[in-house]
This record gives sequence, C-alpha cells and structure tokens, in this order.
Amino acid sequence: MDDDKLLGLVLLCVPLSLVSFGGGQTIVASLQHQTVDVQHLLTSRQFTDLYAISRASPGPSTLIVALIGWGISGFWGAVIATLAIFIPSSALICIFGSWWQQHRLSPWGRAVERGLTPIAVGLIVAGGLAVSQSAGLSLFEIATTLAAAAFLTLTRVGPYPVLGTVGALYFCLSAAGKI
Amino acid sequence: MLPLALRREEDFLEQRVDASNPPEEPHASLGSLLVSFLKLGASSFGGGMAAWTYREIVERRGWMTDENFLQTQTIAQILPGANPVNLAVYIGLKLRGLPGAIIATFAMVAPAFTVIILLSTVYRQLSAYPETHSVLRGLACVGIASTLTMGMKTARRLHGQTLPILIALSVFIMVGVLRWPLVPVVFASIPPSVLISYLLGRDKKHG
Repeated sequence: MDDDKLLGLVLLCVPLSLVSFGGGQTIVASLQHQTVDVQHLLTSRQFTDLYAISRASPGPSTLIVALIGWGISGFWGAVIATLAIFIPSSALICIFGSWWQQHRLSPWGRAVERGLTPIAVGLIVAGGLAVSQSAGLSLFEIATTLAAAAFLTLTRVGPYPVLGTVGALYFCLSAAGKI
Repeated sequence: MLPLALRREEDFLEQRVDASNPPEEPHASLGSLLVSFLKLGASSFGGGMAAWTYREIVERRGWMTDENFLQTQTIAQILPGANPVNLAVYIGLKLRGLPGAIIATFAMVAPAFTVIILLSTVYRQLSAYPETHSVLRGLACVGIASTLTMGMKTARRLHGQTLPILIALSVFIMVGVLRWPLVPVVFASIPPSVLISYLLGRDKKHG
C-alpha cells in the first residue's frame, strides 16, 4: 500500500520536475491538487501544515515533496521523493546547459527566455490560489496574507522576521482561544 | 621550444578543454566542492542564494569568472528546477564534470533536507496541540504572501505587454481555476508563448 503511494508520488514528481520553471512555487498548484484531491495521500489540513513547514524552512520550496514522502514512508520516502523532484531537472541542466549557454543570445534563445516568463507568472499565482483554497482561509487569514504580502513588497525585510511575527501572533491568539 | 607537431597537438587539446570546460577547472577538488556547497546549502535560510554562491565561487574560491557565473545564473533560472539546486548542478558540472555535479547538488540540498526533516519531526511531536496548527496556518499565510509577491515581481518582467499578460492569465485560469493538469498545460503554452515573444522581440527591433 505504502509502496503504491510512494510510486504515485514519484510518478507525480518526475514530470513536474521537468516543468518547474522558476522552482517549487510553480508546481505547488498541481502538488496540492494531486496529493489531496486525486491521490488522497494527504488531507487538506495536512497539506496546509506541510506547506507551512516547507515555506518556513531554508532551502528550495520544492522540498515540500520530501515532507510528503516522509509522511508516506518515513526517511526513505523523503529521500526518494527528493530524488524524484531534483534528478529530472538536474539531468536537463547537464544535458542542455552548455548547449543553451551557446544559443541563448540568438533571437530564438531570447524568445524562449522571455516566453517562459508569463507561464511562470500564471503558475505561481495559481499555486497561491490552490493553497489558499485548500486551506480554506478565514477572513482574518486573508487579511494576514494581504498584510504580509504588502510588507514583503514594500519593505526590504526578509521573510524570517515576518514569519516570526505572524507565528508569534497566531500562537498568542490560539492560546487565548481567539482563533 | 616544443617541436611543432607536439605544440599543435597541445594547442588542439587546449582548445578542446576550452570548449567544454572553463580554464579555472583545475583548482576545484571534489572535496572543496563538497565543503563549499555544504556551506552554501547551510546558509540557504531566507533566500538570496545566488548572491551567496557568487561570493563563494567567484570571490572567495576564484573557481569561475564573473561572466561565466552570470551565464551560469541565467541557465539556472531559465531551465526547470529550483534555482539554487540548478546553480549547484551546473557549477559542479563545469568544474568537475558529472561527479562534481552530483557532489555539489547533494551538498546544496542535504542541509536544507536535514532541517526540513527535523522540523517535520518536531511538528509530529507537537501536532496534538491546537496551537501548532494555528501557528502553521499563520506561516502558510506568509508562504502564500511570498508566493504572490514573487508572482508580482516576476510579472513586472512582462513589461505590460498585452499578449504575454493574456498568456499568464490563461495559464492561471487553466491551472488555478479550472484545475487542468499542469504538465500538459505548460507544454501546450510554451510554443505560442515563445512565438509571441519572438515576434514581439522582432517588432521591437524593426520598429
């Protein structure tokens, strides 16, 4: 049973790895949909928790798949999921990196670079929507999200002070029974 | 002076080396690659990885020239995969071939992997407390906020051009609203999007 689930996760990660232009944030919509709604590897509550942990952790946000893999079959599940998400894109770099370096200044090379941008934008915002919907954000949480977004856009403060402040606020409110 | 034939052969070898590997290659041992990238992987708190990598690889170690690094960075951004990991793969590959790529990538990912596993273990210990889930919901809000911020920052690179904005919008609707499978949507969107960029780029040049 666990092996089937792990295989399902690997088969999900490998193609996503190949289209993760811009990193983990572009594929989070699909990860959420597939692991929660389709393959039922996680509840939406678990997904929200794992998403939060992966965003609060250092390193690429792609590592959320390690958390999902860990939940399915422990340490080796995490290792296999990590390999499944990193090896395909890394292999692509090894195969096409030098070739791309030679051709990227040609008109078509530039067109590819620019042409990928709108796709990445659409995917990133779709990821934000998918996680918000899956989490079922309350009005207060939507306000938190907007405030944090405004703060991250308008100031040069890094993500960690913001994460710390919001985490502390939510802890206090929860301990006081307000949320 | 070397005999002419021998020198030619040497020139030939040198050219071949130049074509496939940058000249700075000999300095980087696999062990020092491992150390450098473990350090980088461990300092990947809070992003800004390209800057840290530049400092280590170009300024401190002198393994790459400025220009080579900038090109490497572009490759890492444009090809799929997480940027810091792509940087590690490509730098490792250029400096020490496939073994270099594997070691640099492993070293870049291992520290973050360890931290995330430790955090998830802590989470499992604390998941019975209602506060844990509340705090994580708060953190998820910040995560979503930083995703949206990144989306907006990337959207600036569309320079307000109508067709690229329409493509971004349609990808968002297909994947985010209609929940169509992401991989086919991306593959189907690449050709028209690249073509539009090509034509827009050409128009700009001629007009």
